[in-house]
Amino acid sequence: MAADQPLDTTIGVVTPENIAFEYQLAGPFRRLPAFVIDVFVVIGINIGLGFLLGLIAFLLTTTVTAILEVLGVGLFIAATLFVAWFYGTLMEAHFNGRTVGKWICGLRVIEIDGRAVTPRSALLRNLVRVADFFPIAFTSVGMEFGALVWLVPLGMLGLPTGMVGLITMMMTRRLQRLGDLAAGTMVVVDERKWQLPVAKVDDPRVPALASFIPADYRVTRRMSRTLATYVERRAFLTPGRRTEVARALADPLGELFEFRKDIDPDLLLYALYYQTFLKDSSAPLPDVGNLSNYSPLARDAHRLNQSPPAVNPPPAVNSPAVPQAVGSPAVVEPAAIPSSRPASSQAGSASSVWESTGKPNTMSQPPTGPSMNREDQP
Amino acid sequence: MNVAKLLEKRRKDWNELERFCEAMEVSGKTDKAGPQYRGAQGVMRFSSLYRAACADLALADAYQLPPNTVTYLHRLVARAHNQLYRTESANVASFFNMLIHEAPRRIFSDNCVRVAALIFYGLFALAMFMGMSDKQFPGFAEAVCGTDQLEATSANYSEFDFGRATGTNSVMAGFYIRNNTQIGLQCFALGMLVIPAIFVLAYNAVVLGSVFGYMVRDGVGGTENFLQFVTAHGPLELTAIALSAGAGLRIGMGVFYTEGLDRVDSIRRAGKRAVPIISAAAMMFILAAFTEGFLSPSGAPYIVKVGFGIFSAMLISLYFVVLGFPRTQAVDQSLRRSVRFGELRDEASSAQQAG
Repeated sequence: MAADQPLDTTIGVVTPENIAFEYQLAGPFRRLPAFVIDVFVVIGINIGLGFLLGLIAFLLTTTVTAILEVLGVGLFIAATLFVAWFYGTLMEAHFNGRTVGKWICGLRVIEIDGRAVTPRSALLRNLVRVADFFPIAFTSVGMEFGALVWLVPLGMLGLPTGMVGLITMMMTRRLQRLGDLAAGTMVVVDERKWQLPVAKVDDPRVPALASFIPADYRVTRRMSRTLATYVERRAFLTPGRRTEVARALADPLGELFEFRKDIDPDLLLYALYYQTFLKDSSAPLPDVGNLSNYSPLARDAHRLNQSPPAVNPPPAVNSPAVPQAVGSPAVVEPAAIPSSRPASSQAGSASSVWESTGKPNTMSQPPTGPSMNREDQP
Repeated sequence: MNVAKLLEKRRKDWNELERFCEAMEVSGKTDKAGPQYRGAQGVMRFSSLYRAACADLALADAYQLPPNTVTYLHRLVARAHNQLYRTESANVASFFNMLIHEAPRRIFSDNCVRVAALIFYGLFALAMFMGMSDKQFPGFAEAVCGTDQLEATSANYSEFDFGRATGTNSVMAGFYIRNNTQIGLQCFALGMLVIPAIFVLAYNAVVLGSVFGYMVRDGVGGTENFLQFVTAHGPLELTAIALSAGAGLRIGMGVFYTEGLDRVDSIRRAGKRAVPIISAAAMMFILAAFTEGFLSPSGAPYIVKVGFGIFSAMLISLYFVVLGFPRTQAVDQSLRRSVRFGELRDEASSAQQAG
């Protein structure tokens, strides 16, 4: 079973309702900034406490003698100690598994079975943190600052290397440090916004090609997963790369469907994706417009090749008659039409319609296929 | 099977659930999602949306949804789940309940606490005796702490002026309490690694013991002041150190004595058992800090401080023995084993493929 698990930072949990879902785990480099922020928050709290108690002591010194000043310092000592022991615990217990740093960095502590963290676990994981930062280099660093030492959280003096925590994180499946192991907790990424990606197909050749895919072809579960992954990623690939990636799957598929050899592999996978996910089975056949004459099937190509040579003149380089070949350029992207083929005959250019030109600029503006709601499309 | 249409239909509900999550993440209330969601209505709507999203996720495989959508659903369900199952807030009552009922029993019956206390107090007493009797063990305290350190401590206490109103005393007291708390915390945290914890505990016991021994030696300056300063908070603080080391060792022992559990689960169980002990230790540290901040450096007569020291020692003994004496078996919290998602999913999909 474990071997089947993807090598990934997601972890599945099963809720009491028997719903299985996945969390994304947070690794050390997401957690370190959160911790640093927390250290500064603790320092801030301590400064605030000192200021407040100092102010009270100052205001009262003139009236109620010096006992109150001692009271102020004593209170400060006890209060900082309280903060040092219980800051993380109280925060995590009260704010549903988040400290200030975790809130800013979008992290959350949960129990490994997916429930919210209990106060008990929160206490444990926060106290064992000292061991996670072990070994501490230069223990005496910071000691010379005297009273300022008070502002720093316990166990954070010197230079904590954090080796113990890092090594345990590397060795556990849930990226747990020692404290997490003892408390049975894990830290997950708690993303606030995550837009739903919806793939759209704008290329008119796709439905056309899809209509040639045999109706009795059943897409398996793994195949559909692969197709969706490919189409969602293809916007980020260059045309050359797309062909390279898609070929592995498109070649055997093309053979199976008895398609021509020169069909663009990217287009074939895209069409199969369309067929699988987007096509309405009850809907009428898509209006493929002028493309209806072009068959991608290998036997049709064969038939066309058998046709008289008069209909199929030899190729001429730099033929200017591209637009006529496909009728309306509004339907098909002009760039997708190879210009190296003669356009005088529809039959002659039939094959080329399905081809990728291979020009790097051809798909430089991908037809917003899988719109991932990202602004940084290439 | 048109995924695009299906998504379009469900997307409205998912967006609404997202809005709910957003509102609840701030205050835990559904009000902010909209005025119509106040109170019971909001809870009803939220739970039905959550159930719907769960159902969608469960059927995602059957619908053959694209992986990205499935990931989105995982995030959404996780987010809503986090809002539905919120942390039981750390209320003071349950904390004190743990301190009064569970902690003393654990402390009373825990072998690790016994061992830690034995190591700490045993070595402390031994070092104190060896440091004190300069005749039998010449130069012991000096060899442990270094002559400079001891003389500095002695000089410190000689100049110590009780009842000084400048707050300097408290700052000095603060340094000591912080140092000792740090030792306690270190012992606890390193307890998981067992050997370092025992080392830190033993080392500090010997150092503290020899300082004590040196300070009560005849002919060393500042003895009076030293005793005045330490007596009141000593019992609380030293016991707290021993306790936190015991709690740490309890977790460390969980690594070796698994009692049939998985090693990680065994650590978790040991951790759950150690929590009451370390909480008691934390409370003792804070009480000791109060004492050390107020009483110890104050100008109160020595008899009051000794009285408080004896009183606190008695209180600790009563706490351990009277409250901790085993009566009924303490109920252990059972561990829930989490099932890996992959286990379920693979079984489900293979069953589907077979059927």
